[in-house]
Amino acid sequence: MSSQGAVQINLIQFALIYLLLIIILIIMKKCHIHQTKLLAVASMRMTVQLILAGLILTYILNHPHPLFTVSYIAAMLIFSVVRVYRKSPGLNPRFKRIIFISMSFSGIAVLAYFVCAVIGKNFFDPQYTIPISGMVFGNAMTGMNLGLKTFFDSIKDNRDKVKVLTNLGATPQKILLPFVNNALETALLPTLNNMVGMGIIALPGMMTGQILSGTPPTTAILYQIAVMIAICTAVCLSVFCSLYFGYQTLYDDQNCIIVQE
Amino acid sequence: MIETKGLRFLESIEYPDVAIADGQTTFIVGESGSGKSSLLRLFNGTQKPSAGKVLYNGEDIAGMDTIALRRQVLLADQTVWLFDGSIEDNFEKFYAYRDVHAPEKEEMQRYLKLCQLDFDVTAPTAPMSGGEKQRVFLAVFLSFRPQVLMFDEPTSALDEGTAERLIAEIRQEFVDQGHTLIVVSHDKALAKRHADHIVTIGSSIPGGEVHE
Repeated sequence: MSSQGAVQINLIQFALIYLLLIIILIIMKKCHIHQTKLLAVASMRMTVQLILAGLILTYILNHPHPLFTVSYIAAMLIFSVVRVYRKSPGLNPRFKRIIFISMSFSGIAVLAYFVCAVIGKNFFDPQYTIPISGMVFGNAMTGMNLGLKTFFDSIKDNRDKVKVLTNLGATPQKILLPFVNNALETALLPTLNNMVGMGIIALPGMMTGQILSGTPPTTAILYQIAVMIAICTAVCLSVFCSLYFGYQTLYDDQNCIIVQE
Repeated sequence: MIETKGLRFLESIEYPDVAIADGQTTFIVGESGSGKSSLLRLFNGTQKPSAGKVLYNGEDIAGMDTIALRRQVLLADQTVWLFDGSIEDNFEKFYAYRDVHAPEKEEMQRYLKLCQLDFDVTAPTAPMSGGEKQRVFLAVFLSFRPQVLMFDEPTSALDEGTAERLIAEIRQEFVDQGHTLIVVSHDKALAKRHADHIVTIGSSIPGGEVHE
């Protein structure tokens, strides 16, 4: 087993990968999928964003400073929270605050445990903290979007049930908690299914990256297992805290449930 | 007793001052859109008035524990909603939401009969007609035996004969034992036959009317 780093690819070799996009374009054309503009924009944005991230990370790794690490994490956190707000219009201001606090607390707590206790590194070490926080916040954002969508959709789909149970004299907690539990389960399922198939159906990105850069697979799997458990915990904790504390903002002092359309 | 004073809802609906006495059957009648159903929701605090107040036993409901109020002034809305499963499952699930044990099967059966349904409690509700589901729903709500029971169009899916028997038997079972029954209905003839007291409200009649 070679322990050398990944083969350096020059820009011309790298450009060859964009040829694969032509295959997608042909299939889109054949199937009348009018998303060619989106494909172009997505590819461009990804390229620009990753080049920028690469340049910034190179600078931060060469000039490590706690302020840079914290700023980078804060930027990722704010971006993911804003994405969650945009995907769930109609959230009331208290619910939004709870989401922000839940994602910050869950993400940073899991990240700190991972970096300091499991890896044994300084929390402000950008080499570990920044890439892992990206995975943690990215997955927490996806879980939050799924959990909030399921929660609000199921309340709207069960409007009559909510109305009847309110008239019956059931407490809002009793009415809404089953929706919280159901949404949490839905938010967790993709991560859990991912864990089930891991190593058999797919070699995850982080592990692949480490192996390509010369890390022994036995070390790469340890990191991957730790990352998956950290992601699962961050998703579970963010969605649970957001929904468990957030649902309490959905009823007024008269115990009437108010969900904006 | 339920009383209203200067009650308005959404600026467009102005209600007459009403006083609903205990142990009586009160029918609320009026044109569509006159605010009959809203009045029931104002009584149980699931809607807030834009002006005026509702008093329950002399106390303004705005300052009351609304959960306790809704359990005493119980509204079986026009919206009929049942859980999946059998009639018995429905009794159990509705009761679980109130953290109390469901009645015995014989008792469930008695309430079904009272609501003119001859089904066994093990019968599934999914294949039932709209009228049958409505009566299962009424039976469940009736079984809670609240101090004040409010029905919103309880006979809308029933034929005339069944509607007559249903109201008559509920009055006999419920009102004759000191409970209060408030029924919103568009059927004025039914109201005249069964009401101790009729409240007429209408958007074309400012302030509406109250008939004894």
